[in-house]
Amino acid sequence: MIQVENVTKRYGQRVAVDTLNFTVNRGEILGFLGPNGAGKSTTMNIITGYLSATEGSVKVDGHDILEEPRAVKRQIGYMPELPPLYMDMTVQEYLSFVCDIKGVPRHLRREDMSRAMEMVKITDVARRLVKNLSKGYKQRVGIAQAVIGTPPVLILDEPTIGLDPQQIIETRNLVRELGREHTIIISSHILPEVQAVCSRVLIINRGKIVASDTPENLSRGLTGDNRLTLRVAGAEAAALAVARGVPNVTAVHSTGSREPGTVDIVVEANRDQDVRREVFQAFAKGNLPLLLMKSMDLSLEEIFLNLTTEEREVS
Amino acid sequence: MLAVFRRELKAYFTSPIGYVFVGFFILIAGVFFAISNLLSGNPNFNGVLSNLSFIFLFLVPILTMRLISEETRQKTDQLLITSPLSITGIVLGKYLAAVAVFVITLLITVLYPVIMSFFALGGLAWSEILGGYIGFFLLGSAFIAVGLFFSCLTDNQLIAAVETFAALLVIWILDFVAQSVPSDPVSGLVFLALLGALLVLLVFTGTRNTLATVVTFVIAAALVVLLYVFSRGMFQGLIGKVLSWFSLVKRYNDFSMGVLGLSPIVYYISFSGAFVFLTIRMIDKRRWV
Repeated sequence: MIQVENVTKRYGQRVAVDTLNFTVNRGEILGFLGPNGAGKSTTMNIITGYLSATEGSVKVDGHDILEEPRAVKRQIGYMPELPPLYMDMTVQEYLSFVCDIKGVPRHLRREDMSRAMEMVKITDVARRLVKNLSKGYKQRVGIAQAVIGTPPVLILDEPTIGLDPQQIIETRNLVRELGREHTIIISSHILPEVQAVCSRVLIINRGKIVASDTPENLSRGLTGDNRLTLRVAGAEAAALAVARGVPNVTAVHSTGSREPGTVDIVVEANRDQDVRREVFQAFAKGNLPLLLMKSMDLSLEEIFLNLTTEEREVS
Repeated sequence: MLAVFRRELKAYFTSPIGYVFVGFFILIAGVFFAISNLLSGNPNFNGVLSNLSFIFLFLVPILTMRLISEETRQKTDQLLITSPLSITGIVLGKYLAAVAVFVITLLITVLYPVIMSFFALGGLAWSEILGGYIGFFLLGSAFIAVGLFFSCLTDNQLIAAVETFAALLVIWILDFVAQSVPSDPVSGLVFLALLGALLVLLVFTGTRNTLATVVTFVIAAALVVLLYVFSRGMFQGLIGKVLSWFSLVKRYNDFSMGVLGLSPIVYYISFSGAFVFLTIRMIDKRRWV
């Protein structure tokens, strides 16, 4: 649906986006993750045709953004970082203007507007001036604006920023719901959010993609192998000895004692080998009670920090 | 384009700007009308229009300052540019909305000559007044195009207003300046050489390419020298001639005398067109920097 090829954006000497390559398939919800200034918004602005790439091409449904800008823009609903709202209009006037510029046929307009307003729950403020709305409501008007005309692609730049927790959950559910009919790119620097809604995550740092996978694979894949943390009631030496005896275990080390009379050890195994049963049996046989066993998948937070800070040290 | 036009027109009258513009214009027009027509018993309305055109200079920035700068500041340009509208459509919609407000205001002032026609013995010179109005309309549209252009250069309304005012003032005094600049061939040569240097500088800053700059320099220098050698007559009063190309006011005077010539009409329309075009290019260019 969306193909981004070798897209580079330079502002003078500064490279904001560096040879970005990715595709988004129809019906996918892609999460853009990255620290502030990583190039998320720039990339989105390039896909929507607000900015032009210095190099490279963007195709939406086979249409190039530079050659057929109208064909591309007709397919995209975009909510920029700051919702592009006219303060001097009421919500209804504003959405009707959006219908106008998106060329929504006159007879579908009323229906489309009420659908969009119900979707983000702003029907009760339809007659109020945008100027007087709270930040959360403005944000929602911004989302309503993007879904008007039901474009097949939605691009939402940090849609939950400035919302309260209740609204964040609502927005997340909304995005998930929209994902059934639309192809969505959503950016965020809040990780659980991306984890909750996206089918694929792109982590960007300094204009480059540093990781791209499903949220689950990302957490698993980056550790390289399977790691278990164990808390064993008993002496350190005995616990280590037992752990080493388990088949398929590649490495064992202790991380010290956190509870009196126990020791914490980390057991590593090959990635595709599940050793939890064998570990349990071995410790039971050695008469060392296991008080805790948990696999050490990295959370997205850790991956994110790993990837983005490593990058910084390199450059 | 129609959508932007409608929104913009409405925006003028949901904010005080439209009312300030219309009110002030009609107030001044009324004062001039009262003084030069009513109190002095003079049926010549074009004098009022002429005086108004100077006041209009101060009012244009009010009309145009927020046209594009406000969109840039509020980031609503993202909505417009990422919508299926073309930039030309957006800019034209805005320009025509400003022109529409101006035309509506101008039409209100038609009341004055109509009032006068009830009392003027021997009737009014309607065709002369019509000419005056057409001239005013064209002059005003050109001013608005200048304002539109300056509004797209900044995201600050005040700066846009001041720049517009300064530019219009320069255009206004161009006639006086053109009369008093030196007219001998040598100063014409210096002037042309400076223009050439400016061109070379523009090419250099635009391309950062030494070859292109050198080529431009050689061509420009050769042209200046050849022209000076072969048609020295051209350099007589050159500065004045060039300056008066940009004089909007001189052409307006024809209209207010009731002369309706094709060339000033074409001139005004192309002047406005050029600035609208420049605005479109500037906005388009922003995507690339």
